[in-house]
Amino acid sequence: MTPELGYAATVVAFGLALYGSIASAVAGRTGRTALVQSSERAAVGVWILVTGCMLLLVYAFLTFDFSVRYVAINTNRGTPFYYRITALWGALEGSIILWTWMLALYTLIVVVQYRRRHPEFYPWVLSAMMGIAAFFLLVMTIPAPPFERLTPVPPDGRGLNPLLQDSGMITHPVALYLGFTGFTVPFAFAIAALATGRIGDEWITITRRWTVIAWYFLALGLLIGGWWSYHVLGWGGYWAWDPVENAAVLPWLTGTALLHSVMIQERRRMLKIWNLTLVILTFSLTIFGTFLTRSGIIGSVHAFSQGSIGAFFLGFLALVLLTSFSLLAWRMDRLKAQGELDSIFSRESVFLLNNVFLVAAAFTVFFGTIFPLLSEAVRGVKVSVGAPFFNLVNIPLFLGLLILMGVGPLIAWRRASADNLRRNFLMPTAVGVAAAVIARALGIANSLVLLCIAAVVFVTGTIVLDFLRAVRARRRSGDGWAAATLGLLRRQNRRYGGFVVHLGILVVALGVAGSNAWSLHTETTLGRGESVELGGYRVRFDGLRASEESNHFKVTGTFTVSNGVGSRDVLYPAKKYYAQEQNPIAYVDYRLGLIEDVYLVLGDFARDGSQATIKLQVNRMVSWLWLGGLVLTLGTGLAILPDRKKAA
Amino acid sequence: MKRRAKFIVGGVFILGALGYLIYAGVSQSVVYFVTPSELMAAPVSGKTYRLGGMVQAGTLKWEPKSLDLTFAVSDGKTAVPVRHKGTPPDLFAEGRGAVVEGTWTADGHFKAATILAKHSEEYKAPDDGAAEPGYKELLRTLQGSSGK
Amino acid sequence: MSGSTRWGRWAIPLAAIPVIVLLAYGFRTDPRAIPTPLVGKPAAAFRLKTFDGPEISLEGLRGRVVVINFWASWCYPACYEEAPVLERGWRAYKDREVMLVGINIQDKEEPAKRFLAQFGHTFPNAPDPAGRVSVDYGVYGVPETFFIDRAGRIRAKHVGAVTDAIFSANVDRLLAERP
Repeated sequence: MTPELGYAATVVAFGLALYGSIASAVAGRTGRTALVQSSERAAVGVWILVTGCMLLLVYAFLTFDFSVRYVAINTNRGTPFYYRITALWGALEGSIILWTWMLALYTLIVVVQYRRRHPEFYPWVLSAMMGIAAFFLLVMTIPAPPFERLTPVPPDGRGLNPLLQDSGMITHPVALYLGFTGFTVPFAFAIAALATGRIGDEWITITRRWTVIAWYFLALGLLIGGWWSYHVLGWGGYWAWDPVENAAVLPWLTGTALLHSVMIQERRRMLKIWNLTLVILTFSLTIFGTFLTRSGIIGSVHAFSQGSIGAFFLGFLALVLLTSFSLLAWRMDRLKAQGELDSIFSRESVFLLNNVFLVAAAFTVFFGTIFPLLSEAVRGVKVSVGAPFFNLVNIPLFLGLLILMGVGPLIAWRRASADNLRRNFLMPTAVGVAAAVIARALGIANSLVLLCIAAVVFVTGTIVLDFLRAVRARRRSGDGWAAATLGLLRRQNRRYGGFVVHLGILVVALGVAGSNAWSLHTETTLGRGESVELGGYRVRFDGLRASEESNHFKVTGTFTVSNGVGSRDVLYPAKKYYAQEQNPIAYVDYRLGLIEDVYLVLGDFARDGSQATIKLQVNRMVSWLWLGGLVLTLGTGLAILPDRKKAA
Repeated sequence: MKRRAKFIVGGVFILGALGYLIYAGVSQSVVYFVTPSELMAAPVSGKTYRLGGMVQAGTLKWEPKSLDLTFAVSDGKTAVPVRHKGTPPDLFAEGRGAVVEGTWTADGHFKAATILAKHSEEYKAPDDGAAEPGYKELLRTLQGSSGK
Repeated sequence: MSGSTRWGRWAIPLAAIPVIVLLAYGFRTDPRAIPTPLVGKPAAAFRLKTFDGPEISLEGLRGRVVVINFWASWCYPACYEEAPVLERGWRAYKDREVMLVGINIQDKEEPAKRFLAQFGHTFPNAPDPAGRVSVDYGVYGVPETFFIDRAGRIRAKHVGAVTDAIFSANVDRLLAERP
């Protein structure tokens, strides 16, 4: 019964979404409010139906309803309770439901928030969002039906991929999809702006907060993905430039560019075409990401199923790109910039350069990712480019971006005077250079790390300088230190929220530089009682034991870790043998630290437990990535606080 | 006009630098996908390849102490001798598919930097769970040896 | 100047087209498939004892179109999905000089026999205990299906579950070639 019920709900929801999209487009052209209200009801109906589908699938998972194919493939009777719920988005069909549900939820929020406001935009926004929802519901109906029936009903299911049985995998897809779907809202408003011809700054003002939220969730999703990769996959890294990872970082890069370039439009009425292009690109890249990971056109270590779904996504991508860019071309006459660039030394130029760097980074990542296709199409040679390509091209771009991060917020608009430059940047530059010199004297020889340190200290300097000046100004008007600081954060929350986000990025940047420059690793075979030393740690192999767990069989190693100062710790890396997997899953054990992590993986072992082969790593500063994520969260929270009337 | 010219020069400079970076990046890190037959037809030492094939029966040797792993990758016609330093991946075995990435060396073997064992994506254990090599036996031997 | 901008603006949507075409080209290639060098080559000979008892060998099938399917009972769901397809194909073509052989690899006898009974397979199936045949055919995973022409050359290889369309298209093509 469940499969039929779910399928019926999907089909009805698809019909409603399609109707709502068309009806509100007609309403947008003719101004018939009754149609708008009708499609609002359709939007609510879609949300209810998709919610119902999701609950139905959760119910099927919880009751082990193996007549649903998706349930049979992604769970079995041994799967623990929580993972039976999160198995919902453990594979393709379920993650499409999650995506559609978030989209329906965002549509609902748009309905609630903007029903009475922006009457010109509103029908078109609704039309675009429901059109997109209709596409995802179509995917749920034809190429990736989550409610496909399985006959005969098997006695037990296959089980969730053990690699996904981890807290990181519970949250990573949710954050990532909140980010992906979040960009639908700015995109829908941009389409509404193009359709109505009201291509002023209105759509930008309305969607700024949406863009920030989507951007933040995408960043969070990327970081959680890195954390998952780091502590589950057992290779000791967090980023591999794999196509799947690249697909997620692409919209983040263009979204970051968008966040910055809209400020230029708000302030100087410039870059109108560019901003529309960026929002279209960002949304298209979220679709491209799904296309790339689900079509199987590019090989990836992350195994995903393939099928006709790729063709659906490619068709939709083509539709989105051609329609929205054609709309843009059609409205080009109205998009003349009212301001223009006055000087290379101006905030406009620096922001423009920031955009050029971000889009260049996005382009190179895109290029590297589809390079195998390009090469095969043009030259007929099967090749790929690996991590060295991405690193070589992106390191200079990101270092440049770091420096711009310090310059942009402080340099004057229009034309910076020599005095403005001296006043704002002389001190931070001096401090940055001094920091690099000191670091060099302390024995840090890696030039990339030195550059990174100089840039980070420079940017921190500019932020501190700016903030202190502002606090001092408020102090002069009579506030105490605390009141001045809080008042400033509250009144200029957007500016200082942005600064805090910048600080978060700096922390992440230091983590990336440090972990790449200073991490150590070794691989060795130890007999029982033997030790290996790495980076001041001594690791002794004490023995192996085997055990049967609820849904797997486990071989655990016991290793005593001691450092020079006499503190001792025991690590238990293991190998887990799941019945549904051909290969055992390595279970990494680690001790996280602010400066360094000890990270231990059990490789091969002798059957009688007399010896074990291990991978030992001392990973430096990796924790800074996760800390940076925390700072990002604080900054984003500050930046999206509701506006308050500025003090007179 | 002078200002415009400055921006154009700046733009061309950035594009040029980016183009150079991409070109250099590609030529440094390009990896060729080949089969054993294709590789042996024209091996170029120093070039990076991704070689796919089967691990030939009777060729797999692993020395845990030195971590030396040697085997031959074959496509049914030609076999390529491969050497690697490290632990074999879990699914790696004779008669199984494998993809190795590395370089061809002048002294006539393939030096693998990474090994990926190929596995079929659709997999279900037999109902009795007995196909995995000796679970119970492992359990017994390890229980006998632990805790000392 | 104004004429060029009027048309020049359409360059933006048009620029998207080559990218989409390139991505569509991706469907033609499979990055995971390591091209099998065996297509076009003579199929390796084998002689196996079927589950039912009699021996079967490729030699004995010369002159017929032969379909070889590698499967395992633990391969779920792909092998389970294609099992009815294979049986249907076998019944439709067995009187037209077509032979279908199932080869069971990396499996145990008992679950394999249960699998055969469950789907009521009537075409010959044989275990490959030493894994020699699967090595000769370069099988990476199950299921994989090979289509061999009347002259004993491998003409096509399919990775993953076979569909009715794939089965009959390949067999029809090879049947149409007169020896």
